[in-house]
Amino acid sequence: MKKVLIVDDAQFMRLSLKTMLEKNGFHVAGEAENGILGIAKYIECAPDIVTMDITMPEMSGVEALKAIRKHDPKACVVMVSAMGQESLIKEAIINGAKYFIVKPFKEDQIVETLKKICQTKE
Amino acid sequence: MNVNESAGKELLDQMDDTQKGKYLTFSLGEEIYGIEIKFVTEIVVVGMQSVTTVPDLPEYVQGIINLRGKIIPVIDVRLRFKKPPCDYNDRTCIVIVDIRGIAVGLIVDTVQEVLSIADQDMVPPPQLNSNTYHQRFIKAIGKVNNAVKLILDCDRLLSDDEIVSLEQTG
Amino acid sequence: MAGDHTLEPMLDMFLFETDQLLEQLEQIIIHSEQSDTYSATDINEIFRIMHTIKGAAAMMLYDNIAALSHAIEDVFFYLRDTNPENMDCTKLSDLILSSIDFIKTELKKIREGDRVDGDAAALNSSIKNYLEILKQSNPAPLENSGTGVISVTNQQYYIAQDKKAASTQNKCFKAAVFFDAGCEMENIRAYTVIHELKDFAEDIHYIPENIMEDDSTCEMIRQNGFVVRFSSDRPLAELHDFFGKTILMKEFQLEETDPPASGEKKARPQQIVLEDPVVKIPPSPEEGLPAKNSEIHSSNQQSMISVNVAKLDRLMDLVGELVISEALVVQNPDLRGLTLDNFNKAARQQEKIISELQDMVMSVRMLPLTTTFHKMQRIIRDMCKKLGKDVQLELIGETTEVDKNIIEHISDPLMHLIRNAIDHGIETAEEREAAGKTASGKITLEAKNSGSDVIILITDDGRGLNKGKILDRARQKGLLHKPENELTDKEIYNFIFAPGFSTQDKVTEFSGRGVGMDVVTKNVNSVGGLVLIDSVAGEGTTISLKIPLTLSIIDGMTIRVGNVRYTVPITTIRESFKPQAKEIINDPDRNEMIMVRGQCYPILRIHRLFKVTTSVTDFTDGIIIMVENEDEVLCLFADELLGQQQVVVKALPPYIKNIRQAEGLAGCTLLGDGSISLILDIGGMMRRGYSL
Repeated sequence: MKKVLIVDDAQFMRLSLKTMLEKNGFHVAGEAENGILGIAKYIECAPDIVTMDITMPEMSGVEALKAIRKHDPKACVVMVSAMGQESLIKEAIINGAKYFIVKPFKEDQIVETLKKICQTKE
Repeated sequence: MNVNESAGKELLDQMDDTQKGKYLTFSLGEEIYGIEIKFVTEIVVVGMQSVTTVPDLPEYVQGIINLRGKIIPVIDVRLRFKKPPCDYNDRTCIVIVDIRGIAVGLIVDTVQEVLSIADQDMVPPPQLNSNTYHQRFIKAIGKVNNAVKLILDCDRLLSDDEIVSLEQTG
Repeated sequence: MAGDHTLEPMLDMFLFETDQLLEQLEQIIIHSEQSDTYSATDINEIFRIMHTIKGAAAMMLYDNIAALSHAIEDVFFYLRDTNPENMDCTKLSDLILSSIDFIKTELKKIREGDRVDGDAAALNSSIKNYLEILKQSNPAPLENSGTGVISVTNQQYYIAQDKKAASTQNKCFKAAVFFDAGCEMENIRAYTVIHELKDFAEDIHYIPENIMEDDSTCEMIRQNGFVVRFSSDRPLAELHDFFGKTILMKEFQLEETDPPASGEKKARPQQIVLEDPVVKIPPSPEEGLPAKNSEIHSSNQQSMISVNVAKLDRLMDLVGELVISEALVVQNPDLRGLTLDNFNKAARQQEKIISELQDMVMSVRMLPLTTTFHKMQRIIRDMCKKLGKDVQLELIGETTEVDKNIIEHISDPLMHLIRNAIDHGIETAEEREAAGKTASGKITLEAKNSGSDVIILITDDGRGLNKGKILDRARQKGLLHKPENELTDKEIYNFIFAPGFSTQDKVTEFSGRGVGMDVVTKNVNSVGGLVLIDSVAGEGTTISLKIPLTLSIIDGMTIRVGNVRYTVPITTIRESFKPQAKEIINDPDRNEMIMVRGQCYPILRIHRLFKVTTSVTDFTDGIIIMVENEDEVLCLFADELLGQQQVVVKALPPYIKNIRQAEGLAGCTLLGDGSISLILDIGGMMRRGYSL
C-alpha cells in the first residue's frame, strides 16, 4: 500500500484528503499542518507521495517542496492548490513537484492522479 | 458500508423477532402483570440497593438508586397504581426498564417468568364502568392457559398524568 | 460528494474550522481597524484564512461562501502584492465584517440542516468594486505580473543535448492530448507532459506556445487539445504508453510523422528542455531545512488534536467513577481491623495517580476566556457605530481559564451586560463632556482567579444606576418586598435583574426589551455562580460575576438527616456548630432563629423542608450549618456532619427532573460507600425558606 503524507494547514482539507485516499487503498502515513512540520514528517515517515498545500503559515508549500527535494531528490511531491495559483504551481513544478491537484478536487480526480503517479514511479 | 448496514439491520430484525411476543411477568398482590421484554434491561433485588429519597416528588417515586455508577429513579408500581403499600421483603425486585432512553426502576412484589404470548391471545382491556385507576396503565390482556396477564403500557407509566386522574375523580 | 456517508465528519470539521478561522479573522479586522491600517502580517494572514475557507467551502459545494471568500481573497492578494498607499481601511473592515456575518449565518443554516441559500451577490460586487477603486487609486508603478515566478519567464530556452546523443536514429512524432473537462490549469498539465517527455525526446515543439507564461492558453488546450511534435529514438508503443499515463486525460492521439524541414529545426524559440530542477535551485537562506527545523523531532512535535466534547464529558464521568470506586476499594468494610501496610502503601500511590489524573482531565476541559472576551469587541464596535457612541474596551486577564461548559453559560450574560452598559450606562459624547468626562467611554472587562472561583468584572464609566428610577419601576412592578427605606443600595440595584424589569422607556434594538438582565442571573446561577452589582451615580457601574472554575467536581460537606445524606458546597458554608438552647429564639409567628455573636439568623430545618423522618428534632441534638448565598445567610439544621470530601456532581435523572418542580437540589453525587448524596442548592433553599 502506498504511503501518503498530507501537508495542509486546514484540518478540513487534511480530513477530506485522508478520507478519500484511505477509501481508495492509500495509507496516510502522516499529516502536517505547515511546511516545517511537513519536512519533519517527511523525514520521519518516508512516504511514497506527499500532497502539499501551497498557502500555509510558517513555511509555504513551495519552500517545503524545495527542502524536501533537497533532502531526498527522488521525493514525489504533489502540490495541492486553488485556482488562481498558477504561477506558484509553475514554480513548484520547476522545482521538482511531481504534479498538482486543483482545489476543490473530486475524489475520482485525486485518486486517478495519485494512482497514475504511482504507476509512473514504478 | 451497505453490506454492514444490511447485516446490522438483519441482526436487529432477528433481535426483534426473538423478543417479539415475549413478556416478563411479575406480581402485585394477586394480579399478574406483563411487560414487553424489549424494555427490560436488568432485574435487581431490592434488598441489595439502598434507595435514596428525593424530596418534593409524588409518593410513588421512591427515590434514586446507584446502579454501578448510574443514577436511576425507582417507582413503586403498587403506589403508582394506588394499591395499598406493602413492606419490601427479599422477594421484592426492581425491574430496570429503558423506555425511549429513560431508565427507570419498577419496584414489584416479585418477578415471575418470561412468557411468550401470541398476538391472537391478546385482547384489548375491557372498558368497564367500574374503571379502577390502574387499568389506565393496561395496554392489553394476555391469556396464557387459563390465567390472565395484564400487559403494561410503559409510556403511560412514565408520563405524569396525575392531573388527568384528578379531573376524572373530581 | 453530496450524499456520501463519509461527509458527516468532514462537515463537522468544515464547520469547526471555518468557525475558528472566522473568529480569528474578526479579531484581526477589529485590531487593524483600531490602528487604521493593515500590517503586512495581517494581510498575509487574512489572505490565508480566506484562501482556506474558500477551498473548504468549494469542496463542500457551498458556492456562495466560496465565491464571497474568493472575492475577499482577491482584495488581499492585491494588497499583499502591491501594498497600496491609498486605501479605505474602515470601508474594507465593514465589508469583511459583513462577509463574516454572512458566512456565519450560512454556517448556522448548515448546522441546522436548512438550505444554504444566502445570496451574497450584493456583498460580492461591493467587494469587487472596492478592489477596482483600490486599483484605480493606486496605479501600478510598473507592469507587474502578479506573483509571477519571474524566474520562469526570464528563463532561457535551449535544447539540452540528448543524453543518448543518438539523434540520428530519431523518428518524428506528433501527439495531441485532450484533458478531462473541468480539470483546470490545462497549461500546467501540458507543461508537465513536456517536462517528462524531455527525458527521452528532443526537438520538442508544441501548440499553444507560451504555456507557462500565458494562462489563457488553457482555453486553447481545452478547445484544440495540446499538440506536441518531437523526435525520439523510442518505439511508438513505448511512447504510446507514456502518453497513456498522462493524468486526468480524456484522450490522446499519437502518430509518427515525417521529419520537418531542416530550416524549421533551427528555429528554436519554443523549444524547451528543463535542467534537472534540483541543480537549478539557487542556494538561498530560506533554503533547505531551516534552523528551526533542527529542533523538531517527531517525538516532541507540538501538535494539537480536536476532541469531541461528548468524549471529554464521558472521560470526566469515568474519572469521577474511578474516584468513587477507589474509595469503595480502599474504604471497603472487609478491610476493617486488618493491618495492611503494603496494601495501604499501594493504595496511597494509586490515590496519588488518580488525583493527578483527575487534575489532568479537568485541565483538558479548561479553556481561556479569550475568545469569549474578544467576541465582545465586535459587539461594542457594532453598537458604537449604530448608537454614535465612542467606547473603548479594555480587556484584563483574558487568558484566565474556565471549564468549557461554564464558558458556554456565561457568553450570553456577558453580551447582555456589555450591551446594557453601552446602551444605558455610557452617555453620549456631549453628555460626557458636559459632565467633565472624556468624550469616549470606557468599558473594562476583567477576569481573575479567586480560589475555586473566577471573578469577571464588567465596569463602565457611564452615568451609573439611577436609584430613584429603579425604585419607581420596582414599585410599579410590585417587586418591593419590604419598606423602601429599609432597602440597601445593593438590594435596589438588584431589582434590575428581576424578570420583566426595564427602566428604559423605549425599546432599543440592543437592550431594553425587559428581557435580558434576568437572563443574566438565571444563566449565571445555573452554573452555581453569583451576580453582584455596584454603582456610583455619575461615575459608573460594576457588575461582577462570580463563577466556579468547574461544574463537575466540588468540595462538599456531607451531612446526614434521617437516613438521607446531603452535600453542601463548601464555598457556601460560613461555619457549623452545635447550638446552645439559649441561642435559639422563637418569634411570635413561630419562626425559628438563632443568635450568633449578636446577630440573628433564620433557621431552616432540612428534615421539615424535605419531609424526612428523623429522630433528631431538638436543635441541641443536631448541628447548625451556617450558609450564605448572595450576601444572605441561612442556618441549616441537620442531624450530623459526616465529613468533607471532593464530590463529582451528577445531574438528577431526567425523569426526576421532569416531575420535580421544586428548587433546592443542585444534583447528586456518589459517596465512597456507593450511596447517593443529594447536593443542596443553597440559593434555591433560601428562596423556599421565605415561602415556608
